[in-house]
Amino acid sequence: MTSEGLRSQTILVVGGGIGGMTTAVEAAEAGYDVILLEKSATLGGRVAQLSRYFPKLCHPTCGLEINFQRIKKNRRIKVMTMTSVAGVEGTRGDYSVTVTTTPRHVKANCTACGDCGRAAESMVPSPFNYGMDTVKAAYLPHEMAFPQFYVVDPSVVGTPEGEKIAAACKIGAVDLAAKPETFQLTVGAIVWATGWQPYDPAKITTYGHGRVPNVITNVEMERLAAHDGPTHGKILRPSDGKEPKKVALIQCAGSRDNNHLAYCSRICCLASMKHAAYLREQYADAEVDIYYIDIRAHDKLEAFYRKIKADPQVNWIKSKPSRIEVAEDGGPMVCGENTLTREIYAKSYDLVVLATGMQSSVKAGAPAAEMDDYGFVVPHDGSAGIGSAGVASGPLDVSMTVQSATAAALRAIQAVSGVRNASEVS
Amino acid sequence: MNAAPTPTRKYDLSFARYVYQNIDGGDRMAKCMQCGTCSGSCPLGDQMDYGPRKLFMMIRAGMKEAVLTSNTIWNCVSCYNCVVRCPRKVPVTYILHDLATLAVKEGYEQAKTAINARFAKAFWWSAARWGRTDERLVTAIYYFSFGLSQGMKMSLANLKIAQAMVKTKRMHLGMPHKIKNGGDLKAILAKAAEIQARDH
Amino acid sequence: MSERKTGVYLCSGCGIGEAVDMEKVAKVATAEYKAPHCVTHGVLCGDEGVAAIKGDLEAGTVNQVVVGACSPRVMADRFAFDNVVVLRANLREMVAWSHPAGDEDTLALAEDQIRMAMSQTTRVKMPEPFLEGEFSTRIMVVGGGFAGLSAAREAARAGHEVLLIERSDKLGGQALGWSKRMPHRPPYRDIADNDTAALAAAVQADRAISVRLGRTVAKTSGMPGKFVVELSDGVTETVGAIVLATGWRPYDPTKLGHLGYGASPDVVTNVQMEALLATGKVTRKSDGKAPKAVVFAQCAGSRDPDHLPYCSSVCCGTTLKQAIQLIEADPEVMAYVVYEEMRTPGTAEEFYRVAQEKGVIFVKGKVKSVGGDLKVTVADALLGEDTELEGVDMVVLATGMVPNSTMHDVAYENNEYAQVQVNDDIDHGSPIKVAGYKGEAPAAAAAQAKNCVPAGAPILNLQYRQGPHIPMLADGFNDSHYICFPYETRRTGIYACGPVRRPMDMGETAEDAAGAVMKAIQVVRSVAEGKAVHPRVGDLSFPRINLNACTKCKRCTVECPFGAIDENEKEYPEVNPTRCRRCGTCMGACPVRTISFDNYSVEMISQMIKAVKVPDEFSGKPRIAILACENDAYPAIDMAGLNRTNYSAHVRVVPVRCLGSVSLLNVSDALSAGYDGVILMGCKSGDDYQCHFVKGSAMAQERMSKVGETLKSMMLETERVAVMEISIAESHKIGTQIDQFVQVIEKIGFNPFKGF
Repeated sequence: MTSEGLRSQTILVVGGGIGGMTTAVEAAEAGYDVILLEKSATLGGRVAQLSRYFPKLCHPTCGLEINFQRIKKNRRIKVMTMTSVAGVEGTRGDYSVTVTTTPRHVKANCTACGDCGRAAESMVPSPFNYGMDTVKAAYLPHEMAFPQFYVVDPSVVGTPEGEKIAAACKIGAVDLAAKPETFQLTVGAIVWATGWQPYDPAKITTYGHGRVPNVITNVEMERLAAHDGPTHGKILRPSDGKEPKKVALIQCAGSRDNNHLAYCSRICCLASMKHAAYLREQYADAEVDIYYIDIRAHDKLEAFYRKIKADPQVNWIKSKPSRIEVAEDGGPMVCGENTLTREIYAKSYDLVVLATGMQSSVKAGAPAAEMDDYGFVVPHDGSAGIGSAGVASGPLDVSMTVQSATAAALRAIQAVSGVRNASEVS
Repeated sequence: MNAAPTPTRKYDLSFARYVYQNIDGGDRMAKCMQCGTCSGSCPLGDQMDYGPRKLFMMIRAGMKEAVLTSNTIWNCVSCYNCVVRCPRKVPVTYILHDLATLAVKEGYEQAKTAINARFAKAFWWSAARWGRTDERLVTAIYYFSFGLSQGMKMSLANLKIAQAMVKTKRMHLGMPHKIKNGGDLKAILAKAAEIQARDH
Repeated sequence: MSERKTGVYLCSGCGIGEAVDMEKVAKVATAEYKAPHCVTHGVLCGDEGVAAIKGDLEAGTVNQVVVGACSPRVMADRFAFDNVVVLRANLREMVAWSHPAGDEDTLALAEDQIRMAMSQTTRVKMPEPFLEGEFSTRIMVVGGGFAGLSAAREAARAGHEVLLIERSDKLGGQALGWSKRMPHRPPYRDIADNDTAALAAAVQADRAISVRLGRTVAKTSGMPGKFVVELSDGVTETVGAIVLATGWRPYDPTKLGHLGYGASPDVVTNVQMEALLATGKVTRKSDGKAPKAVVFAQCAGSRDPDHLPYCSSVCCGTTLKQAIQLIEADPEVMAYVVYEEMRTPGTAEEFYRVAQEKGVIFVKGKVKSVGGDLKVTVADALLGEDTELEGVDMVVLATGMVPNSTMHDVAYENNEYAQVQVNDDIDHGSPIKVAGYKGEAPAAAAAQAKNCVPAGAPILNLQYRQGPHIPMLADGFNDSHYICFPYETRRTGIYACGPVRRPMDMGETAEDAAGAVMKAIQVVRSVAEGKAVHPRVGDLSFPRINLNACTKCKRCTVECPFGAIDENEKEYPEVNPTRCRRCGTCMGACPVRTISFDNYSVEMISQMIKAVKVPDEFSGKPRIAILACENDAYPAIDMAGLNRTNYSAHVRVVPVRCLGSVSLLNVSDALSAGYDGVILMGCKSGDDYQCHFVKGSAMAQERMSKVGETLKSMMLETERVAVMEISIAESHKIGTQIDQFVQVIEKIGFNPFKGF
């Protein structure tokens, strides 16, 4: 098959997180047209919600800035936010993709001046902070938001407040009448880069998230540590704003568990070590207990493990806790068996962080691609028109996601430029 | 009587393999990853000498004696906390009970003298005979399994409770209540015994 | 360019018009700079505003544009016009949003923003790209193992010619001799066939791939698009990019005497076991018998600071595979895995369960000793005692991976230049940064030896001023350690993949090979158009050196983070433009301003600095220049504005490509111009550095450590110049940090040079 047989050479990348952005820029910078779809209001995905990366403890926003600039400066990339895929038909070189957009209620001529936000009065849970705090009903999702457009929450549409918000915009960018739209895209290749969602901690009933005070998840911990999070970067326990001095970090909250996620989510061990570092950086007297089954600090990340291990105030307990209960002081109490000492423990903490795993965001049946039983899209070589990148293809850390996304860009290029088949090479 | 092989050295797998193949749920025990959820979930976890997790490791290590003489296999109260929580879906409860059966079969002293073994025996006697547990008889058989004087001592120690129970009609004197169609129960039990004899 | 006709377009939207008097701002352009065309628009970024600019450009009334509106970080797509220079003056984030409306200092700041932009209008030009000669799109892959084969095939499938160099006399590398491979496809349970031989055959048959067996690279010179490679057989080839896929070798088991290697012929490595499995019949070397009890000792060398400090990643999976194979061949076999941490990340967890189902026994602990009689003593963590495994027939040491980042078996003496820069990604010895300890702080572990170039000859033998090796990290693996950009190489156009980059299995290697090929394709296509690659993607400018003024000090050739500048036979610097990543570190290094880019130079920075109207000391208003890295510090200041943080209006921010591009001359120019202080704002340097030009921030630190002498010679206080390491996520701190610096300056007093 050669390129003549292909109707479109445009590459559709579904998902605008670090994986999707990487696939998009890598392909575009090699000279291909790319449509980058993102379901939410801004690009950046999960990494934009992280405070820092392991093992360098650097800020994801640093790399995001570079990627955003690469996208802004590249005319080959068309970004569509608030858009998701409803259906895919066709074959390599000629896919017809049905996409739907949900209204942002703010048009693309928004300058992010903030007038609408100042006019808004009601508060809505902040999606960026996982609902741990609230934002005005007209808001910029976060300070790095790209595209830099405000969002008007649907709750104020049809209210006097909505009208007031719309009136505040001097350039008429607020569009309360916007409706969901459906349209078609014709593309030559599709890369699923839909990333992941944190496993719902409510399903792990024994760990008491939502029931026992001060039991939070690892992604919530990231927001507590972030300067633009609900506590402005100071890690405080949610119930009373107290500084947490005894903290438990619980691995495999959902992962490696046939009742929940049968696979290992790969990142949690390292992410928890990073959380230990966050806590120790803020509190000289903090004691951090890490509960684990196996510490999976693969390849060079072992060095980060060794570094955290050197801190005498970080303790390692080889145990999968059996349950979390409310202690007498009202805080969380972690119960289980220390498998190395055979001690049956019940330890009280100020804060418990569940290292919840990663779950594929791909909805079964949607992608018209080969999927495994876990919901991941199986990556393919360039002879297939549909591939996957990053966590859409399996549990990966950021570096491996970028690696996978760069590979997916190559496969997509091969797909739209017509891969030479084995028959042509012999 | 040796139903299961007795390893002569550490990590001789003959006993482990016997357990994998012959103990109810033993095949799934192979997937235990030693996380400790079971022992931590056990309401009697701190009263077990090993807890299920370590017991499974000991099975792998070929520690047949220690396993079959442990109180772990007798102290399971079948609450199933461990079974529902086990991330590898190991049916811990079945395994412990079947190991207890093995300990009986192999004639281990603990299978006769462990308090839960004694109680289980009394319980079974009542359940099989009457189709019900008769509190008074089960307690009596259990107490007197320790010998006459010990049995008397234990009975007297609990006399007040017994009287209160009788008074509130929680325990009755006289003949034990029987279930209807006791013959059917006998037939069921006989069939079960037959299946067990065939399968083991 | 013919006559420069500058159009100045000001925006009064987003609060700018409320903050400052637009007429006064416009007057700076029209009166001071005689701009022929200056208009103010209410929403310049709107269709109407943009159309107005376009109309003027098309009409020819204007041929270069100054936009005084929002930050250059936003609306770049709106204010982009083909082949037209657009200069941006940040009146929104850095003026209207961060300073009080109607204040005279706010107005002065806005006026200076226009002056700084206008100062460039006489000099700036559209860069002329480097397009000399022919550019090759052929990709050379070094290494014919699984990684190299995968890379060659991927490149060919994307339509590129490939030159594949393999040192041995056949393709396939280590993987060729393996019996099977780990599961790599759903349901992630089944041991898969080793497809290396088929892959090698496909590569051999591919007309686009030219395979050279029994060759090594003798020399590599040139640059991306124009690499000239001399092979060991004397043949010279030209290639556009290079994929380094030299793979790994097993850790030397003779160093593992403590694990019994050498004590008995039946203690073998996992690699030796793989060879035995490939024969279809595993037997003991000692007596030829099939082993019935096999112990696998994990982390044989790996995760051990005395041997390999890292985890080799693949050994757990390999052991599972081998143990399963042994049991499948003979269900009577007892296979034990002695491990400390079972590492089957991601979907590989399923393979762990498969091994358990098959009856592999996992013993958590450490092998303490292996006797000549194969008695294995294990510190058994779960039984809580030392356990002796007796009756063992065979011990398999799961030895780790050592990267082939050099030809380790070819003696080579590193000369002065060959001493590769090694940047520790993580200093293994240093403790994490903590607020404090409850008791005594732990003694830091012994620091890793730095600059430890592994022994052996360089793979590519680069004829670069900075030495023949591809830069390695402290653990001997090749670039890169970036998280967001794992292919961000320090030798442009050369991309490592597979286990030479990081310990990885075959599945990941296949992906990594595709990723590296993607970058190789991108670089050959970009350089052919004169464009830079990551991170200044598409930049057409490149450093030009005025050799007449050059003093041959060699700072530029030494400090370039990418080894882009060589020295010619007369010891003059020679730029290899396609190696360059356009950071400007050379420009900052040059003591005599001989290096410049078409659109970026020491002069331009100084012109911007000098364009600012510095009030005299009687005004009571200091002026402070901030030279801010455009990737971290500048966005952080921008976002402080977005969050409506107020900070001193006495600062003037000049964006720079990298702090490494800042010359000491810029600092002295600022002080001579009457500025009272200078802040250099860049990203974090040192271990865990974050500079995407590798060491710009570190360079600035080093250079500024010498600024004291300059200041002393000018009779100025050293506090007037500060280097601040700011991360992009510190928008909440930056205002305070600026204000504190202003206070320090106010305390010291005004620069006595003011007015001279």
